[in-house]
Amino acid sequence: MGFMYGAYSVVWLIIFGYMLLIGKRHNSLKKDIEFLKQLDK
Amino acid sequence: MLKAALTIAKKDIYSELRTKQVLGTMIIFAGLVILVLSFAFDPANNTTKAVIPGAVWIIIVFSGILGLNRSLVSEQRNDTMHGLLVAPMDASSIYLGKFIANFSMIIIVEIVAIPFLFLLFDFKMTGSILYFILVLFVGSFGFIAIGTFLSALASNSKSSEMLLPLLLFPMTTPILIGVTQATKIILTNMEKLPNAIAWMQLVVAYDVIFFVLCFILIEYVLEV
Amino acid sequence: MSMNLEREKVTLPLEEVQIKTSMITKVLYVGMVVSMLAAFYFIFMYAEVEKTMGVVQKIFYMHVPSAWVAFLAFFVTFVFSILFLIKRKRIYDTYAYVSAEIGVVFTAIVLTTGPIWAKSSWNTWWAWEPRLTTTLILFFLFMAYLMVRQMDGVWDKKARLAAVFGIIGFADVPIVFFAIRWWQSKFHPIVFGDGPSQEGGGIAPTMLVALLVTIAAFTFLYAYILHKGVSFENMKIKVGHYKEKLRERLEN
Repeated sequence: MGFMYGAYSVVWLIIFGYMLLIGKRHNSLKKDIEFLKQLDK
Repeated sequence: MLKAALTIAKKDIYSELRTKQVLGTMIIFAGLVILVLSFAFDPANNTTKAVIPGAVWIIIVFSGILGLNRSLVSEQRNDTMHGLLVAPMDASSIYLGKFIANFSMIIIVEIVAIPFLFLLFDFKMTGSILYFILVLFVGSFGFIAIGTFLSALASNSKSSEMLLPLLLFPMTTPILIGVTQATKIILTNMEKLPNAIAWMQLVVAYDVIFFVLCFILIEYVLEV
Repeated sequence: MSMNLEREKVTLPLEEVQIKTSMITKVLYVGMVVSMLAAFYFIFMYAEVEKTMGVVQKIFYMHVPSAWVAFLAFFVTFVFSILFLIKRKRIYDTYAYVSAEIGVVFTAIVLTTGPIWAKSSWNTWWAWEPRLTTTLILFFLFMAYLMVRQMDGVWDKKARLAAVFGIIGFADVPIVFFAIRWWQSKFHPIVFGDGPSQEGGGIAPTMLVALLVTIAAFTFLYAYILHKGVSFENMKIKVGHYKEKLRERLEN
């Protein structure tokens, strides 16, 4: 039983970790865009 | 095409014989690997005999990596890569030439280092030496063929010395499994020779497939 | 010389560089959520509990679909690598890259759930069994692929080299599997049966349904992440163009 919970949590940890990574990249890109917009003015 | 390839190979081997930089390093490195192996596995112990067939390939793989690292990076460093590329020949003959040069170097290293290994570990061969040479040839052929290709690929990176092993080791696992198994049988247990030959067939099949594949794809790697 | 082809179309209003939620994103998102919920229902409510292994067997429903998605992702990388070498369009390269990254993530899932299951049913964390070893080597190969992508230089050089590596890497996989299988069967007796995913004919129909639903759900998840990742990469490329253009204007 414990093994099953372990495995399921690991699976979702990895998937959400990856999603988090994507989100982080998104945010840094958004910051870039903001910065460029400021620069453009 | 073969002529152009031989020209490149000759050029590489000549410049190597002038400086003896890479070849010397490879041989000394092979000796150092033997030294480290003697610390890791007690030579006086009888069970050590079991690891000798593997040790042969540890030496070849690690000193081979050293030579492969240099073979195309040196062209990039000296900016002669463009010269090679604009020369009137295809990319595949550059590959073939580099392959011949690397292959002859690894053969020299094997000729020097493997008798030393057997000598220092006091290894008595019970199998056939002819088959052993065949295995060495087949295994080094595949390893160098794919290694030359990947070193051409990695030479575009600034940290190609670090990148090449990462690319090369997973890619050559079939060869490494095949030749270590075949070597083990040939050196210690000749009754199982059919098994060894089957392993060699696998390695030969791998060699052929990847040699052809590298031949086709090298054009994309060496594109200007 | 691999010239930077990006210079051509720099006239780009910044308003275009926005995170768009298109129709297809929504469809994939809804599909993923619905099928994921359905998958959980099927796994825990519908499928019967395995007799000998008990509840632990339910790891199977995460393990196998992840393996499927990983192989699918690497196959997609392979196909788009070939396409890139023929057509030389940047979009193919983007697809190959994002797909390889997702493949590595799902291979990581396979490689972590595998040992957990192995520990519970075979009482050992790892066995040098063909499928496991091949998956491990696949993981290393595509990590190396991602390393090739980290190289410095212009994009089309990186894309070209990565495509070449993607092709030979994928071509290597069947040979690796064959070699390892041979190595294992000849020198060790097979102790553990045929490995985890070999329920084969003995699988109960309810389990099969649950498995298929989970595979569908994971495929949706893959498609969603792939789409998301590709649109993100495209946006990054656009921002890069914009940055270039802006720098030029500031310099003058």
